Amino acid sequence: MKKNIIIVLLLCALLLCGCGKNEPAQSGYTVTDMTDRVISLDAPATRIVALSASDCEILFALGAGDTLVGRGEYCDYPEAVESVPSVQSGYETNLEQIIGLEPQVVIMTKMGQTVEQVEALSNAGIAVVVSDAQDIDGVYRSIALIGSLVGKSAQADALCKSMKSSFENIDSKGDGTETIYFEVSPLEYGLWTAGSGTFMDELASLMGLKNAFSDVVGWAEISQEQVIARNPDYIVTIAMYYGEGATPVDEIMARAGWQDMTAIKNGKVFNADSNEISRPSPRLVNAFESLYEFVYGA
Amino acid sequence: MEHKGGKKEGLSVLTYIALSVFTLVTMLLCVCLGSVSVPPDELLSSSIILNVRLPRVLCVALSGASLSLCGAAMQGLLKNPLADGSTLGVSSGASLGAVLAITLSISIPSLPFAGTMVMAVLFAFLSLIIILSLAYKLDCSLATNTIILIGIIFSMFASSMISLMMYFSSDRLRDITRWTMGTLSGSSYTNALVLLVTLALCAAVILSRASELNAFAIGEDNARHIGVNVRRERLIILIAVSVLIGVCVSVGGTIAFVGLVIPHMVRLILGPNHKKLLAASMYCGACFLMLADLVARVIVSPLELPVGVVTSLIGAVVFVFIFFRSVRSRHA
Repeated sequence: MKKNIIIVLLLCALLLCGCGKNEPAQSGYTVTDMTDRVISLDAPATRIVALSASDCEILFALGAGDTLVGRGEYCDYPEAVESVPSVQSGYETNLEQIIGLEPQVVIMTKMGQTVEQVEALSNAGIAVVVSDAQDIDGVYRSIALIGSLVGKSAQADALCKSMKSSFENIDSKGDGTETIYFEVSPLEYGLWTAGSGTFMDELASLMGLKNAFSDVVGWAEISQEQVIARNPDYIVTIAMYYGEGATPVDEIMARAGWQDMTAIKNGKVFNADSNEISRPSPRLVNAFESLYEFVYGA
Repeated sequence: MEHKGGKKEGLSVLTYIALSVFTLVTMLLCVCLGSVSVPPDELLSSSIILNVRLPRVLCVALSGASLSLCGAAMQGLLKNPLADGSTLGVSSGASLGAVLAITLSISIPSLPFAGTMVMAVLFAFLSLIIILSLAYKLDCSLATNTIILIGIIFSMFASSMISLMMYFSSDRLRDITRWTMGTLSGSSYTNALVLLVTLALCAAVILSRASELNAFAIGEDNARHIGVNVRRERLIILIAVSVLIGVCVSVGGTIAFVGLVIPHMVRLILGPNHKKLLAASMYCGACFLMLADLVARVIVSPLELPVGVVTSLIGAVVFVFIFFRSVRSRHA
């Protein structure tokens, strides 16, 4: 009878734990991830699998690249990351591959995971940490989170501070009247732009420019007529150049019907690095600086 | 094959005029309306109209006409109401070629569509040859059932090849996805000209074989008995169709439902005689796709929908409506 009561009590305790956080009181070393889940470890993590390219970049930027034992297949920066074993990510996330690498922690985004995957990883004794930055503040939180995960909080603070000062200490700043149009996909495949709530939109507003398509949310397909009618002062394309045919900038400059637009007449068309400008990583600073140079000169 | 006292079986001059007027009015409407409203007095001078909207409307009209003509010809030839460029496997083959061109970055400088177009036409041809030779191996008389079956299997094969390529070239994923849904934004006068020339040539070939198609629609044996060279005529029509589909796919991607639904709708109204059906299908297909594209352009402005989404949506509803009405009037 006593046994039964104990079992019932234990079950209740387990249920309570299940409703709340994952055993928060067990250890002294805890981090809270970006879905407010508390993860406890005995010590800073030394074996990490990071599935998104931006989280790998953050780890390397913090000088913790050596903790990576596995990376998502699309992680490509810095070069050193290429020598880390690659695992499938996104919808094809391969749990066996990840578990086989025996990490303590898996860092992934919200989109790239399902409840079943998180459960299976937890059952294998691997903590799942969500890093899911949607804006620049989110990137600071990602950096702080990953910094505390590997015991490099001081470096993380310094990195965030240096990023902030790069964004803020600029000589000229627009008054929000000049407009900029971001082109995510070229005309041949239908025009897609980056509207509000994207890193491109945020970078533009940091330097006092107005996104010509701020009324559009996220990445969306837009009408070519609208681009011409809105007549932006600057055009930025993130199309990749594969070394054949016209470069993305030349292709835009030569489009029929675009020749009377302000940006085309002034030659203000720029091909930005699509990874720098769309990943929630410290390299957003580089994207910001090249964009700034394009708009205001060096 | 009943001749009404020597009278022409085709559309009367009056019907031609009516269809042409209707098509022109639709075209005018589609040129005047768009995401950006242009004042009526600037219609002829506006760069948006002349450089963006007009070439697109022209391409859309020509694609609609081409796809419907192909659908009508296939349905008659294979005596199968489900026949269409897509069920025969030619569309998928053409897409596969286009996607290959995207993945391998095959392009010809200064002609942005040329790489994908050459590959699409090439693969439309190749698919046709593969499908026909497989069908011939299985069944020397090239029975329609065999062709349709192999066409569907080939479609599946091509689709899985496309998925496989999407899997291995994630950086081009969005381009490929767009391709499989169809896009006519960014059409140029060059595209329109290419479509026009192809349509003119292929339509001449197909329209001149209206009586052969009538014979095929009754049955292959019937066609053979009244002296149609079954194999040759079928090959000629299939080649014309695959060229037309290949060019359409390379300009606008695969656009669903037009080729399948429009000929059915026309048949329900004008009857099964190909002398009327083929020409009327071209007009109706052009109007239908122009209107569908108009909806795609304006309904969520400043955003744009892929035209394939609209054609499938409108096409399915209109088809069910006409089908129900015709069944009911037959019973009444």
